Amino acid sequence: MDTQTYIDNYFMGDPSADMRKDFEKKLAEDKEFAEEVAFYLSAKDVIGEEALIEKKERFKKLYEDYKNANAAKPQKSIVRKLWPYLAAAAIIAGVIIGRNMFFQPSTEQLADNYIKDNFQTLSVTMSAKRDSLQTGIGLFNEGKRVEALQQFESMIKNDSSSVEAIKYAGIVSLQLQDYDKAIDYFTRLGNYQLYANPGKFYLSITLLKRNHPGDTQQAKLLLQQVLQNDLEGKETAKLLLDKL
Amino acid sequence: MPIESNQPLSDLEIIDNLQRDGLERRKAEDVLFTRYAYFIEQAMHKYSFAEPDAFDIYSDTILSAIIKIIDRSFEGRSTLKTWLFQIFHNKCVDLIRKKTTNKSSVNRTISIPEVLTQVADSSKTVIQQMMDLTDKETIRQKLSELGDSCRKMLWQWAEGYSDKEIAAALNYKTADVVKTSRLRCLEKLRQLYKTQAK
Repeated sequence: MDTQTYIDNYFMGDPSADMRKDFEKKLAEDKEFAEEVAFYLSAKDVIGEEALIEKKERFKKLYEDYKNANAAKPQKSIVRKLWPYLAAAAIIAGVIIGRNMFFQPSTEQLADNYIKDNFQTLSVTMSAKRDSLQTGIGLFNEGKRVEALQQFESMIKNDSSSVEAIKYAGIVSLQLQDYDKAIDYFTRLGNYQLYANPGKFYLSITLLKRNHPGDTQQAKLLLQQVLQNDLEGKETAKLLLDKL
Repeated sequence: MPIESNQPLSDLEIIDNLQRDGLERRKAEDVLFTRYAYFIEQAMHKYSFAEPDAFDIYSDTILSAIIKIIDRSFEGRSTLKTWLFQIFHNKCVDLIRKKTTNKSSVNRTISIPEVLTQVADSSKTVIQQMMDLTDKETIRQKLSELGDSCRKMLWQWAEGYSDKEIAAALNYKTADVVKTSRLRCLEKLRQLYKTQAK
């Protein structure tokens, strides 16, 4: 076996213990052999570096191809880049517009919203007949609406000009869905000359809620009056008129 | 899976092909390089590297990844992309450190060839001393005087391919034919080197 094959067998294979021993001995004693081993390993080292350089050259070419391929691709315009965002914005806008167009709240819903926001509980008011009123208000706030109405009606019976009792009787009737009675109380309330009279406004809410034929039209007229005469509830009246 | 169809290779197929012999490995190397070549652009933007620097880092990343995949150090605990990016990112950070300090050049050591690990310590020193005396530049120069087939075969050998793998890649009949031809090429190189040295 020639020296190169022997060296190659040693480094490329799995040398046995005997071969290792023999190899070490030769290295230590034979300078020419040691030089051949050094050449073998140095050559492998240099060729390895060359191979790496060659591979990098190959990669360089691949990178050039990659860049050219990307440059050849049509550049996305701003619109194309942003299209997902534009599409999302269009969908959202569509939903909002659609909702406004097709899901415009009904007059009844508008009235419901107002009732829900303002007539769930009644605030305690100060008046000459504070005790009776507060009893009625207390009953109402406890959910005892029928008893509350009885309380307010009893007050009205005793004093037909008790505007506070009339107002609350109207509100409770509205909550009890006795719209005709509520309309009656709010109509009476609206006829009083008061510094702040929500009668007409409450009446319009009740009409919107009852929603009988002609009620919306009548409510609209009343709301316009509230606005024109600067009556109690004019801010909400304006909002309602915009939606009607 | 051999690369035959026009379907893009999955990461698993790339790994599988890199662990095969010959042409399939080479093609998988190219696919791997191209697939994540956009890292180069990212490094240019993120770290303000010049394009050649970013390219070098990326090439080194791919080369070291290929070695790790072939020797099965890559265990697939993360996706190929995540793993590659981690290597790439570390190399980017290394370059930044290198640019901001001179420590790297101070600490640089010359590594002993891996093959010497199977040689006893006393012999290692002898070989290392001999190797230091070898004129590597002359070897490099003489390498270019070898024929193309010789060079390609030696490149593959130096890259760590077995004779069997070289036979498959370069269409030789058997591994023994490769071994004989390879040693003949190596001997030719040695003779060219010796002539020059004289």
